[in-house]
Amino acid sequence: MSVSRDDFSIAFRSALLQRGGAQKFSILSLIILATFIFFLDVYGFVVVKKARTIINDVVFRITYIASSPSRFIPSAGKDLTNHFNLKKENKKLKQVIENYKSLNLNLEYLTNENKNLRKVLDAKNIGNAKHIVLAKVLVDRNSPFLKSIIINKGTQAGIKKGMPVTQDNYLVGRVVEVNYLSSRVLLLTDLNSRIPVTLGSDNAQAILTGSATRNPKLEYLPEDYVFEDELTVFASGKDGIFIPGTPIGKTTLSTGKYANEIRLFVDPNQLSFVTVNLIRLNKEKF
Amino acid sequence: MAKTNLIGKIFNAGPLILLYYLSISEIDTNLEKVFEIFTFNLPIIIIYFWILKRPSVLGTGHIFVAGLINDVVMGFPLGISSLSYLVVCFFSNYVRNKSVNTTIASDWFTFFIALIFANLLFFILLNNFSDITISFIKIGYNTFFTLFLFPIIWLLFSFYQENFIGGRDA
Repeated sequence: MSVSRDDFSIAFRSALLQRGGAQKFSILSLIILATFIFFLDVYGFVVVKKARTIINDVVFRITYIASSPSRFIPSAGKDLTNHFNLKKENKKLKQVIENYKSLNLNLEYLTNENKNLRKVLDAKNIGNAKHIVLAKVLVDRNSPFLKSIIINKGTQAGIKKGMPVTQDNYLVGRVVEVNYLSSRVLLLTDLNSRIPVTLGSDNAQAILTGSATRNPKLEYLPEDYVFEDELTVFASGKDGIFIPGTPIGKTTLSTGKYANEIRLFVDPNQLSFVTVNLIRLNKEKF
Repeated sequence: MAKTNLIGKIFNAGPLILLYYLSISEIDTNLEKVFEIFTFNLPIIIIYFWILKRPSVLGTGHIFVAGLINDVVMGFPLGISSLSYLVVCFFSNYVRNKSVNTTIASDWFTFFIALIFANLLFFILLNNFSDITISFIKIGYNTFFTLFLFPIIWLLFSFYQENFIGGRDA
């Protein structure tokens, strides 16, 4: 009995403290070091924050370069297909231009109408959307636990934590981590994402929460709310962060596990360029 | 002779390069686009297998650094992946010290324990000490698929070891 206990303690100690060959450090010392770094980072020590910002910028760049083969192969296939479809595309584009020309005629009228409606709504935040930064998606590594992307603009471009991120004017997420040359954007599908939204003709208020699946869900809907299909969901802007009226997605009539889900206008897995709205965060004054 | 040595060194460094590449690149083992719940943790399998079979291939320092890089890329608090990798490393080392000959079945069973501890530590630390919330179900799926795929990857790595690296360390 005592021999087996000795065996256990020897093997245990050896596994923790063994060094030699490629093992330059014992596991115990590295575990202590990792724990130390973890708590320094979690409790937000300034030195660690600054070091992390520098490390992030360097690692994100390396990640971008290291991932180029994986991006090149699918894009090369697409380019080849696109090349063969060029003629068709040209015809389509000509048609699209014609459509735009006709739409342009209505633009002036709509702009004026929009201005008047803004006055009526007195929506202060809309004016803030003037300043936007176009950013390239450096990394969109799809973690099973966190849904986020890395963009190539940071504090240098005026980006701050919390700023909304859009693509084609559709909301895709918000900035959660800012470095000097890069930032992390938390996507709407992430479990940690919570956004106040409005939907339907009666302007029902709800919270759009990420559910770690493909589509986020609507929560805190009004009592006895009858969920309808194909309703457009907009950011309500009640948090003072998101611009009111930014379209997000459409409702779907699913049941069970997928009930109250929203089909996003932008596929979070297909982002290549996004815009960051450099709005001033409105702090509530009491 | 020198050329053979160089090729041997490159083959020897294969698992380490793969570990670093998985940590730093966009290539991941999260195949949600194909099958919504399908995710698995290849770095943990790499660490467990190679520490068990050929510890000279993966240094603990490298494992620690790969964990840190993974945290930066994934956006987790620094050190959490390193801790989880080192726990797996510890279990693997322990099994290696205690056993003479291992089979795929025994490795699978001990890997299960190592994986449970590593993921439990990861989940507890993340949920209690950081602002990030992660789904327990997601961790469960990840653990299940990692465990499920272990024998297949074990066979692949064994093939690689036998044909490109050589037998077990002394």
